[in-house]
Amino acid sequence: MMLLPILMAVQIRADDSGLVARMQRRDPQALAELYDRYGAVTYSLILRVVRDTGIAEDLVQETFLRVWNRVSGFDAQKGSIGPWLLAVARNRAIDYLRSAGGRERNAVEYEETDHPSLYCDMEKDILASDKARKVKSAIDKLPANYRQVIELAYFEGLSQTEMAARMGQPLGTVKTWVRTALKNLRDELAVVSV
Amino acid sequence: MNCNELRDHYELYTIGLADEPERSEIRSHLNRECEVCMEGMRRARETAALVGAAAPPATPSAKLRRRILASAGFEQPRGFGWAPALAGALAFSLIACVYFAGRQRDVARELDRVTSISRQQNMDLTRLNEAFSIINGADTRVTTFGDGQSKPPSGRIFASPSQGVLLIASNLPQAPAGKAYEMWVIPKGGKPLRAGMFQSSSDGTAMHVQRGRVDPNADLVAVTLEDEAGVDAPTTTPLFATPIRGIIP
Repeated sequence: MMLLPILMAVQIRADDSGLVARMQRRDPQALAELYDRYGAVTYSLILRVVRDTGIAEDLVQETFLRVWNRVSGFDAQKGSIGPWLLAVARNRAIDYLRSAGGRERNAVEYEETDHPSLYCDMEKDILASDKARKVKSAIDKLPANYRQVIELAYFEGLSQTEMAARMGQPLGTVKTWVRTALKNLRDELAVVSV
Repeated sequence: MNCNELRDHYELYTIGLADEPERSEIRSHLNRECEVCMEGMRRARETAALVGAAAPPATPSAKLRRRILASAGFEQPRGFGWAPALAGALAFSLIACVYFAGRQRDVARELDRVTSISRQQNMDLTRLNEAFSIINGADTRVTTFGDGQSKPPSGRIFASPSQGVLLIASNLPQAPAGKAYEMWVIPKGGKPLRAGMFQSSSDGTAMHVQRGRVDPNADLVAVTLEDEAGVDAPTTTPLFATPIRGIIP
């Protein structure tokens, strides 16, 4: 099996909102607890992107420091810190990958997509929820070409044009695959939400 | 474009991959607080988080937790051979303080001081281990800069393609409040790559380690003075820029 559930690695031991509030008060133990809850899943995501353990650990360190330094802008009551942390982690990793590969970086886009204020009103503990298991299962069930475009987008940061070149397929075909694959994931989440 | 035409693009926008004109259209809808698009984006961010959490599970090294806490200025690393000796000395000093002074306040003050020294020494030791690892690397090459200059800065750069870059410098003036030095690895014809922030000591010396593989096209190592939060591209004239092309095989 190509992907194994990491969801069990997310240790939800207490309400994240209390943890965030303590981080905002600069409680060092809160940073340690944040790492204990999300360190493994963050490392797994980054390692999947960069495929080098040393670099992955450096980027995990950057990720947690970035979150620690920006947590004052996070809404402790309505925010969902797990998804925000993973967004920062992915952006750090993709930014590294693009820099190392001599590809164009889009730091402005990243700044827009991992701003703490965006991660509000999500389901509590979503990373340990039934939705998480469903999405994992839905990815595994996708046809190979659909799964490949999802992985190229999320884990390698390729645009649709770059995917078409990588896969040797017409751009229109790739766009159709991306659209269909994302719709499958959306539909899976919609079923869980009902 | 209307919201229905944009619904297939929320996820791509969320992960920074939406094409034009959809990207601008979504941004426009969000700027005018379009409820349909805001809800679509919220769901897309959930999906992105869930896909990210589906990565194959892996376990980081035990030292990473200590590294993160130490780099944020908290908690001392453990496991070094001299730690028990330090703990013994700490206990002895504690007893001595109680015996000779008999004042709990003095003991607490001493404990804080020694703990602080211990924390700093452990952080320094971690950095030294990283530095020695690069210096002793089989593929490490050395270059110097600033030779013959009467004014700062000068020093040496150790570059290991497999492990990273070590900078040892002297005559670096102390950065003003709110500022710090940022190192850059600059590929030939490419954009400068961030290589970490550091401060100089009061005597003008500095040691900075950037771990990780070095870009094989690396041409220069440079240092600029930036805001201490760091920047994604240099904003000031480099204090120095040292060629490393040729020392990276």
